[in-house]
Amino acid sequence: MILSRLWRGLAGLALVLVVAWAAAAAWTGALDLDHGAWAQNQGTVPGNVHGTSNDADFWRQIRRGMPGKVSIPNPQAGVLVQSQGDNWRAIRNGPVLFYGGILLLASLAAIALFFLIRGRIRIEGGRSGRTIPRFSLTERIIHWFVACTFILLGITGLFLLFGKHLLVPIIGKAAFGVIANASLQCHNLFGPLFIVGIVAMFLVYLRDNGFNMVDVRWALKGGVLNSGHTSSEKNNAGEKIWFWMAVLGGLSLSVSGLMMEFPWWPTLELLQWANIAHVVVALGLIAVAFGHIYIGTLGVEGALEGMTKGEVDVNWGLEHHDLWAEEVLAEIEASRTKRRSDGYVPGVQQGSPAE
Amino acid sequence: MTAEKAVDAFLGQIDAAVASYLESCVHCGECAEACHFYEVTRDPKYTPTHKLKPMVRAYKRHKAPFSGLRRALGIAPSEVTLEELQEWSPLVYDACTMCARCTLVCPMGIDIATSIRKMREGMVAAGVAPQGLVEASERALEKGSPLGVTLKALKKQIADQEAETGIPVELDKKGADYMVILSAMEVLGFPEVIGALSRIFKQAGVSWTIPSAGFEGTNVGVQLGSRDIARELLARVVNAAETLEVKYVISPECGHAYSALKWEGPNLMGRPYKFEVVHILELLEQLRAEGRLRTKGKDGRRLTYHDPCQLVRRGGLAAQPRSLLHQVADGFVEMDNAGLGNYCCGGGGGVSSNERAEELRFKAFAKKKEQVDKLGGVEAMVTSCANCRNVLEEAVDEYHMDLEILGLTELLAEYLDDEAA
Amino acid sequence: MTFLELTEGPLWYVAATVFVVGAAWRLLGILRFGRKPDLSVPRASAAGGAIGAVIRHSLPRHGFAERTAYHIIAGYMFHLGLFALLLFAAPHITFIHDRLLGVSWPALPRWGFIVVAEVAFAGLIMLWVRRICDPVMRQISDADDHAGTWLTFLAMLTGCLALQEGNDVLRGIHMLTVEVWMVYFPFSRLMHAFTFVLSRGYMGATYGRRGIAP
Ligand code: SF4
Ligand code: SF4
Repeated sequence: MILSRLWRGLAGLALVLVVAWAAAAAWTGALDLDHGAWAQNQGTVPGNVHGTSNDADFWRQIRRGMPGKVSIPNPQAGVLVQSQGDNWRAIRNGPVLFYGGILLLASLAAIALFFLIRGRIRIEGGRSGRTIPRFSLTERIIHWFVACTFILLGITGLFLLFGKHLLVPIIGKAAFGVIANASLQCHNLFGPLFIVGIVAMFLVYLRDNGFNMVDVRWALKGGVLNSGHTSSEKNNAGEKIWFWMAVLGGLSLSVSGLMMEFPWWPTLELLQWANIAHVVVALGLIAVAFGHIYIGTLGVEGALEGMTKGEVDVNWGLEHHDLWAEEVLAEIEASRTKRRSDGYVPGVQQGSPAE
Repeated sequence: MTAEKAVDAFLGQIDAAVASYLESCVHCGECAEACHFYEVTRDPKYTPTHKLKPMVRAYKRHKAPFSGLRRALGIAPSEVTLEELQEWSPLVYDACTMCARCTLVCPMGIDIATSIRKMREGMVAAGVAPQGLVEASERALEKGSPLGVTLKALKKQIADQEAETGIPVELDKKGADYMVILSAMEVLGFPEVIGALSRIFKQAGVSWTIPSAGFEGTNVGVQLGSRDIARELLARVVNAAETLEVKYVISPECGHAYSALKWEGPNLMGRPYKFEVVHILELLEQLRAEGRLRTKGKDGRRLTYHDPCQLVRRGGLAAQPRSLLHQVADGFVEMDNAGLGNYCCGGGGGVSSNERAEELRFKAFAKKKEQVDKLGGVEAMVTSCANCRNVLEEAVDEYHMDLEILGLTELLAEYLDDEAA
Repeated sequence: MTFLELTEGPLWYVAATVFVVGAAWRLLGILRFGRKPDLSVPRASAAGGAIGAVIRHSLPRHGFAERTAYHIIAGYMFHLGLFALLLFAAPHITFIHDRLLGVSWPALPRWGFIVVAEVAFAGLIMLWVRRICDPVMRQISDADDHAGTWLTFLAMLTGCLALQEGNDVLRGIHMLTVEVWMVYFPFSRLMHAFTFVLSRGYMGATYGRRGIAP
């Protein structure tokens, strides 16, 4: 028993090590921030490269992506100009940046609006003073582990994405260079930890996040927006959707992120798409995460406790997750009756620790 | 005002060892995983290190390195209040048996049990010790025993045992090798132990006596946390032994009595004893090893051994009871964590004399029950502490368990080969 | 004076002084309380017990390994990682050689540094997230616990950010956070890095002379 647990722990440790090693190999091999961009003289075609051949033709071929010969193993390095790169840059710095920024602002605005209209959602019946267990210690630890890495990655990622436009005008290029450099290091450092976290999250949280008719009804009734009562299980449809977004989004971020950490593995074109996908998915998750954080803290009284202490007030449970809360209460009652029939139980109750 | 007394007493207890315990805690919470009170309630207030909090605060405010600087800057912990001490009284007295199990698991090796013992000095000074213990200590001071056992009562029990065994017991025999002291619980609840000792010692040819003054081994002063009371009670035993000029004092089947007499005692008296302290288990094992403890037949029941905390974790007696048990029992099985990691009965450290703690004490027994249940089919549990024995018997009743609780000395005596001399 | 010169010069000396003097003061302050000689008759050696306890309490314990596996694993990941970074990161070795001891030893390769950093960070985050969501740790934690964790995190993080070694500002920021950490150290629970020897040792001595190895 002890051994199997320890083995499982060690296996986890091994997973961390493997991912860390992979990241390290990639990082050291791939990241070299010290290259200054090669200066280009705009518009002029370097001439007389090959004596008799037509310089214009020669450069046209290169511009179209014709590979040359290189002596290093990576054949992609033979392509001097990969024109899709222009498209990638245009997409990344154009619509992605623009609409992405709008998305984040819209998310914050929606939250603010919701707060103004609905205010903090209180526990209607007040606190009962009795609590029931909501998230296990394992669930809580994994949640916060993912949260920590997500926040670190989110902040550094946003610096990398928007910094050039938002920060450079304020703090100047030199200072931004430092921040960008640091952000990239940080991003690469915590990425692998996030991958481990998100896989663990998927495994541990999966069982409470299957969809069924309750969720459909919940969603039709308007979920959190509805001020009346809507039945839900341990997780409501919104939370389940968030779980799947986080897991699928997280996995996609992981894959695209790993591609960028191992840039010699995908083709350049794939790499460009990976980058766009990484940015789009990340922005989507951050926008929703704003809402998640709001609901979990300020938005709904009594919600945070489930994730910190692991216990929520019975009334909170009955109001927000009635089907689940009733089930838990029934379980507690049943185990008490069982213990009573098993023999004398000293003390009145031995249910939850908060009693 | 009274809180100040407590603070003074806390500070008076601090030496380098205790200071290092109060300084080093990294708040990892591992100790909770070892404390039966936390394990059965899952209530974080029963985390061992948390029980020390007021003393830690007093220390950090007044005595720790940099405390002056902290006070000057206004960032020292606030003064300990009487309300706080009252709030902590149940944690310090009802929810700690000073069993030292938490120390096993603490990465910093913090000796919580010793620190709680010291902290209780301050609790007594503030007058927040539980009524049950205070009264027991008053009875001990007035009548000579925490349960109010008088010499008359002892003599009556001795006479009964003499009639039973046909062996006379000589009180106050000057120059005897061994002086036996007893715990109040033995005299009242398990007087057969006197008969058992008579028979064993007769067979082994041990010269022994019981003192008429200072026969009480239980030192409630140590449990309450009062050096003064502890010293006064201890002095009775020491005086008796030195007046009778015995070579050894036998600490009875009682855990805290052994700690008090053997380990804390000379320090309370401020001088070494003129005699040696042996625990009855040590002596019996010595007799067995020398071939002076001859037994006949064996107990065929499936039985296990409960280690009294003060004997195993704080006394160092783990091997002796086991080799003695093997001598007379066929079906001896060990619980999980037997020996050093064994669970407390739930009633040590004065908890069993403290009525306020009764419910919690019974709850805590659940850990012991778990250990026993896991073995399956255990018919009897042997132990070598009268207090454990009493606590276990009550708990077994409370839980409607079918489990006999036995004292080791009596079990041995049962199989004693009286013919062999 | 540039930022880097400031942090590698005067500030470094201030921080190092506070660290050394403060830590020594605190340790001596504890030892100064002394201990009355124990008059009880010993069964075994106190010194042996003390040494044994210092070693034993670094190791998982039979009967408790399962219940405490999380802390053991995360604790080892963090502490071993931290020491490896501290002692075997190439810039640290250069610093120790040039500024402190004049000796040097082989450094971790760059990939090794990153593996170790990942492990150390994972361990530290694991320990901290448990602190915020385990009822027991919530009950006993105070501001110092969090401050110590965060400062350590920042010192490690800025170190990794400065890994590129091309940037003076990042190196300076790392120096600065480490200096803050060093100044905070003697006044905080970070001191457990030294006091563990005292608590384990005293406990081990107390019980060692009774012939027990708790
Ligand atoms: S000494 Fe025993 S009862 Fe007291 S806190 Fe430690 S484990 Fe709990
Ligand atoms: S196990 Fe030791 S260091 Fe950890 S919280 Fe308990 S007493 Fe403190």
